Amino acid sequence: MAAALVAAGCHNSMNSVQNAQQVGQRTMISDQRVISDTGLARKVGVVGLNTVTTPGGFLKVQVELLNQTRSLQTFNYRFEWFDQNGMQISAPAGAAIAGELDGGESKFISAVAPTEAAKDFRLKLILGK
Amino acid sequence: MKNQIIVSLVAVSAAFITGCGTDAHYVETGGNRNVVSVGQINIQDYIQAANTMTGELLASGALDRVKNPPAILAISRIVNNTGNQIDTDLLVKKIRVALLQSGKVLTTTTFGLGNAEDPLAKQMQQTTRPADFSLSGKIIQLNAGAGDTRQATYSFQLSLTDTQGLAVWEGEKEITKQGTRGGIGF
Repeated sequence: MAAALVAAGCHNSMNSVQNAQQVGQRTMISDQRVISDTGLARKVGVVGLNTVTTPGGFLKVQVELLNQTRSLQTFNYRFEWFDQNGMQISAPAGAAIAGELDGGESKFISAVAPTEAAKDFRLKLILGK
Repeated sequence: MKNQIIVSLVAVSAAFITGCGTDAHYVETGGNRNVVSVGQINIQDYIQAANTMTGELLASGALDRVKNPPAILAISRIVNNTGNQIDTDLLVKKIRVALLQSGKVLTTTTFGLGNAEDPLAKQMQQTTRPADFSLSGKIIQLNAGAGDTRQATYSFQLSLTDTQGLAVWEGEKEITKQGTRGGIGF
């Protein structure tokens, strides 16, 4: 009984509820705009990527990440922005944002470009400490 | 004999001090290797909060709803409700820089709560365009603990108010940090 209690308290995987009739299994997508370090790439992958232009004319990016393992994964991420010529936009200093995913969990991360001149982006994913 | 002991102690102390010299080096501001302190707001926290809320503000389109763009923004009170003495400009200046870069906003430095930020500019000012919005906010610290684990959540709250006194945009960013008792500041 004690072991069961310990196991319950240490449980860190996630169960998700979704439609029984799934269109298809989640598949990882490869996008050159997403750069992940080798340590993280095997554990956390991108399953969806969407972009939209806000009413104010700013590029907004939404990325869905999936933890392919059964254990908690921590990571840091940062967006970089580029204009139509591929030149990086010198945005105010951006900090790496910490994120975490329980085993099997998927999560959306998003960011809005700092100026209307931003037409492209790059997402950097780094394994957390 | 006594002198030999003293000389030996001095030599050992010198070697000890030399060997314990600090390994100072540069790290990227806001990067992964920045020190994370539970008991205080770190620079990467200010950067993250400013970037997140600025992005949300720009995406909301609230700044576009002015008769004569770009909007004029005045900075109001940012209340520090944490346990530390902080300069709220560490947050506000980053927001102002980002908003200015966006092209959607101009910030006035001659009008605001208290004295003008730039007194000389106020003297030089030839025309006055009233502000379209004011930005106010609060930074709150919430502490928690369990066993040896200490946790602090810093809540950055901002409100954008128009000339009718209505909040046309509100944003909040919470940053939570954990550490063990030996590595914290409180």
